[in-house]
Amino acid sequence: MDSSAASGKRTRLPTQTIPVPSDRTHAASRQRQLLALLPGILLLFAVGLAGKGMEWLGFWLRSAHHIYFPQIEYVLWAILLGLAVANTVRLPEIVRPGLATYELWLKLGIVLVGAKFLLGDLLHLGGLSLLLVAIELVMSLSVMTLLGRIFGLKPKLTSLLAIGSSICGVTAIMAAQGAIDSEEQDTSTAIAAILTLGALALFTFPAIGHALHMGQQSYGIWTGLAVDNTAEATVTGALYGDLAGRVAILAKTARSSFIGFVVLGYAVYWASRGQAKHVQHKALFLWQKFPKFILGFVAISVLATAGFFSRSQLGSLSNLSKWAFLPAFAGVGLRTQLRDLLDQGWRPILTGVLGEIFIALVTLGLVFAATHGARQ
Amino acid sequence: MAAPLKETRINQSRKLAFNADVVAITIALALAALIRLNVIHHIGW
Repeated sequence: MDSSAASGKRTRLPTQTIPVPSDRTHAASRQRQLLALLPGILLLFAVGLAGKGMEWLGFWLRSAHHIYFPQIEYVLWAILLGLAVANTVRLPEIVRPGLATYELWLKLGIVLVGAKFLLGDLLHLGGLSLLLVAIELVMSLSVMTLLGRIFGLKPKLTSLLAIGSSICGVTAIMAAQGAIDSEEQDTSTAIAAILTLGALALFTFPAIGHALHMGQQSYGIWTGLAVDNTAEATVTGALYGDLAGRVAILAKTARSSFIGFVVLGYAVYWASRGQAKHVQHKALFLWQKFPKFILGFVAISVLATAGFFSRSQLGSLSNLSKWAFLPAFAGVGLRTQLRDLLDQGWRPILTGVLGEIFIALVTLGLVFAATHGARQ
Repeated sequence: MAAPLKETRINQSRKLAFNADVVAITIALALAALIRLNVIHHIGW
């Protein structure tokens, strides 16, 4: 059993990972490990389907019975229901390994959504995103480092926050943790800060987008550039609309592709100061850190562009991606422990909030400049 | 402050996180093949 669970502490759900119960890793068969994931997977789908059911119920009550019911899409329902379950009921240990598979469903959805992008769109939007990502990276890494110094954060915690906010949230922090040899508590704090900011983005970005009358494409690029965690970026985009959701995934994917370079840069920096191991094989390091699911996303897009699928088959693939996103959206709510988010201390959170506000404003300006430039 | 993550969990999770990418791509390509071969005819939403 997990030691923290044994001591009665409420543990944060593992993020961006698919762990199996640690004491069974070597002893149990592969089959038993997979079976251990089932309860959590069922909960993910149950909450996701309940979210879809709430959307349908609202539509039915409004249209058939003229009864007032909030007009909320299934995406938000799934998150809200997940948040409600995770923060009011103490989830049994048996569901925790399976809940972490939300990352698998998220990646499956992203790979499948590649069918909605023709290669030309991918190159055009992806190229634009890559250019904006490069600018965003320089700005956010500099500002986070500066803010970390101003608020007196430990240098490696500052590095983790800078990596997490500039690239792809929790995945980048986890990738950097081993590379820069940071303390586990710094990793935990940085992850909590990034998740807090992601949760805030879910509710603020769509409101800002509507207030500024942003188009689906502009909003999607902005979300992909400014929201840190892939799951939160996908959800924040989807809350604005289908197209915004897909474009957010594309921009976020372009941003995630930089993960190896940034983590390698920090690893070399800390190694030069004698506080981390030297990276022997840099090309291998880059490949190891590269998010491989991007290759699947591009592969499906290439197949779609080559006419491998008929129109109705492309529709089926698109719908499959929505089914895959359903448990992923539920997972975003289910793994968010509001108590944990508040327990991290004010300095990392404030550093993150100020940095994220800056990044959001800069990327918003970049998106407006890029779309305005494209119209001329 | 929140309890730090266990090192074993972090190391183990990183190893398994790579598998999530491979599994996601494998499932996606398998489903795409089944749809292409009309084994799966229609997926609704």
